[in-house]
Amino acid sequence: MNILQRIKNKVRSRSIHVAYVDVGSCNGCDIEVLACLAPRYDIEQYGIFVHNNPREADVLLVIGAYTPGWEEKLAMVWEKIPAPKAAITIGNCPISGCLFDRKGSFVDPPVKKHIPIAAEVPGCPPRPTEILQAIMSVRDSVFANWEEEH
Amino acid sequence: MVSSLVWYIREFARAEWIKKFLFAKTAPLVTPSHFRGFPEPTGKTCTHALFCMMACPAPGAIEVVHAGDGWMPKIHKGHCIRCGLCVEACPNGVLKSGRIRETMEREGTSLLFSFRIAIDTELCTGCGNCCTACPVNKQADAQMGAGGHSSNDDVIMRVQEGDIVVIHEDKCTGCKTCEVSCPNGAIRIARILEGYQQPVQEGWQ
Repeated sequence: MNILQRIKNKVRSRSIHVAYVDVGSCNGCDIEVLACLAPRYDIEQYGIFVHNNPREADVLLVIGAYTPGWEEKLAMVWEKIPAPKAAITIGNCPISGCLFDRKGSFVDPPVKKHIPIAAEVPGCPPRPTEILQAIMSVRDSVFANWEEEH
Repeated sequence: MVSSLVWYIREFARAEWIKKFLFAKTAPLVTPSHFRGFPEPTGKTCTHALFCMMACPAPGAIEVVHAGDGWMPKIHKGHCIRCGLCVEACPNGVLKSGRIRETMEREGTSLLFSFRIAIDTELCTGCGNCCTACPVNKQADAQMGAGGHSSNDDVIMRVQEGDIVVIHEDKCTGCKTCEVSCPNGAIRIARILEGYQQPVQEGWQ
């Protein structure tokens, strides 16, 4: 590993920029993501910053059961993120549709079908610590040594 | 003024303070023990009453599957909403989650299932499919024929003179096998989940 890569790893591990997108949830998981920003969990102490702009993001948090309005749009958001990038789904909805995936509903889970997902956080809603752990595990597995591997 | 400056430098130049200033973190992010997480097995034996599956509000969240010799509930993460109803509904205490079981013991609460059998006499043809399909009937009277006739009084229901007669509604386990086997949709099982609380002991509150 050359020195440049080492510096990049070091910097990247302390500077993860996050955008979140709600593709049709009940807002419970949005509140938990919001709790991550609050002083009790304080996501910025780990060097994770929320911008909510896909063009300057590294990690996309996807929340919700994928309603028909998000067809094509979610992939568009995903393509706007510059590489290296990773998407994390928050909550049960993007995995299984949770309580919304019933007969006659129009949701189309899992989100995994539509964009590549690096990590999934189950729970309805998950604890802020679980969200935080998922982001940090992705940080280590996706962003470290990215140039060497691609 | 000089002395206060010296005091300032001495106060803030301590290694401990600098370390704290640079590497300050909020409290370690541990999950408290009372958090109602995904249900976990307590080690008690599952008797396959399936009350956990009946009480579960989330589709596909819990299944009772074969585990070695017996049965064991399996939680599907990504479906489970961690409501804890399966923990409360279980008659044997197979699952635990947070402090649900402790709270139930302390307050003397329980969730009890009961089942009602409703037969629509307009639709029922008296074919006896429900009687022969019922697993409890099979145990009570192994000799029951295709018509659902039985001379045994221990069966849940039997056909008498072309009509279904329910004898022991209390023996119903709520499996709804009869509903599936009925060609007309004439039989319906209602699963009733009721919360009970024992009277509070004297000296409490």
